[in-house]
Amino acid sequence: MEAALPISAAPDLRASRPKQVRATAPSVSLPLRFMLTGLVALFVAVSWIIARPSLLVSYHYNQYVIAATHLIMLGFICSVVMGAMYQLVPVALETKLYSERLAKWQFAFHVVGFVGMVWMFNVWNMKQVGHFGSVLAVGVGLFVYNIARTLLRVPKWSVIATAITAALAWFSLTVLAGLSIAAAKCVYESNEGLATAEGVKQVVGGLRFIAGIVSHFDAIGAMHAHAHLGVVGFFVMLIVGVSYRLIPMFTLSELQSKKRTALSVILLNLGLVGAVVTILLRSPWKFVFTGFAVIGLAIYGYELRAILRARKRPVLDWGLKTFLVGVVMLIPVSLMALTLSWPQLPMNQFFNQLENLYGFLGLLGVVTLAILGMLHKILPFLVWFGVYSPHVGRAQLPTTAQMVSERFQVGGLTAYLAGLAITSVGILRESELWVRAGGLLLLASLVMCALNAAKVLAHFFRPQIKPLLAPKSVSA
Amino acid sequence: MTTNPLTETTVLDALRQVIDPEVGLSVVELGLIYNVAIKGSSVRVDMTLTSAGCPMGESIRGGAEIALLNLAGVTEAQVELVFDPPWHPGMMTTVATA
Repeated sequence: MEAALPISAAPDLRASRPKQVRATAPSVSLPLRFMLTGLVALFVAVSWIIARPSLLVSYHYNQYVIAATHLIMLGFICSVVMGAMYQLVPVALETKLYSERLAKWQFAFHVVGFVGMVWMFNVWNMKQVGHFGSVLAVGVGLFVYNIARTLLRVPKWSVIATAITAALAWFSLTVLAGLSIAAAKCVYESNEGLATAEGVKQVVGGLRFIAGIVSHFDAIGAMHAHAHLGVVGFFVMLIVGVSYRLIPMFTLSELQSKKRTALSVILLNLGLVGAVVTILLRSPWKFVFTGFAVIGLAIYGYELRAILRARKRPVLDWGLKTFLVGVVMLIPVSLMALTLSWPQLPMNQFFNQLENLYGFLGLLGVVTLAILGMLHKILPFLVWFGVYSPHVGRAQLPTTAQMVSERFQVGGLTAYLAGLAITSVGILRESELWVRAGGLLLLASLVMCALNAAKVLAHFFRPQIKPLLAPKSVSA
Repeated sequence: MTTNPLTETTVLDALRQVIDPEVGLSVVELGLIYNVAIKGSSVRVDMTLTSAGCPMGESIRGGAEIALLNLAGVTEAQVELVFDPPWHPGMMTTVATA
């Protein structure tokens, strides 16, 4: 017969606890505040598409598309990615976050910055975009500094650390490029008008100098280069680098080839450097460098497949499946990238819409699915860590798989994929009706995602702790 | 009721109650236990983690100590985290089903 020990019977270990092993994770509230902010921004963005489907059926160089894109990029993706990085970079690199305090300050700068930017893009006040962008940039500076200092603590350098470092560099360049573009568009007061503020005058003078350089390139080329720096350089680079650590960890597998991992990261970086320059210069070499990046991603996919085939955990949960669907979506997006970078591509309405589809599937397909998949993994873990970690060994605790609703996860992914498909058709057919219908499915998917998140967060208020069963061999 | 003598088997049975919440397997099934030393009523266990950066490292280590102190006949328990040799999936004693 098994004897049940009440939780209170577990001895208090505080008196006999040996030396502490350093904790690697920051407090639970830090990544959670970024992630919940990101999910709210995604809800607003999808609702915006439903309310204004013309966003996706008209050419993307207009204030509303730019505002909505920055809401998705900064409000949703950056918020979640930053929160996840504060949690995962120490795990992936086996070290400790440099400063949690800096991260909390960064959150404030980030929220004020992106909300203001989206608002000002929407009313097309570029001067204020520059101001709010500067606030955001202060936050980005704190973020990059914090993660860079964390990277300096890495005990053993790896291709994962290289990918994260590259992603930080690309992110910094993205923000610098964005501010430069804003400055170039802005009819700013003359710096002579700021005679009493020497420091500000110098900053404005510097921005005007940068703006002078940017104005040598055509506006759409600069915007496309800026977008690729952010999406491929920061988000895709992180997806590649971090998944080399997390996919083996979640599936109980190992990296199968260090050469392949290194080659994929090198080619992706090389391709991106060349692609950004050739996009800016409108050079026909754009196709070649896009090819380098696509080959890098193909090698990444091949290595991921090898990792999955070697796994000791046969069943893939829906978080991982969602993430992997995002990775698979790299295939159509890469094919579109190759098509759109073809030197003799005719500029007609179809290819204009294909550019919209490329951006839409890149952001709301690849990156968003990868993020939602990782959120299905990270959110339960954070809540479990916050609620149950003090009870390990003292009580029976739920696993993270028991904290989520598989029904909501499956329903959410199905609705999301249907939404992506219908919206994609709407973009190509230039049909607001189809875009709105697809948007409604995306929204339904997000509602299921939110219900799942609510079920997970409910453990904060109603923990499921059961008395421990004593080991069978102790009593006879 | 009789109490079994303290053996490696009883110690491992106690440690089976410490579950990795992500995988749903115990630290024993994951092959994280490297060494068990029993001296009278004192137990010392060397264990590792699936990753040196595992954020749950401290709670799993502390939980393992509590599980050992719950064991009849144990008055002192010490669990040390070691990372040499590093863990790899080949060390698992079972295939994960979760």
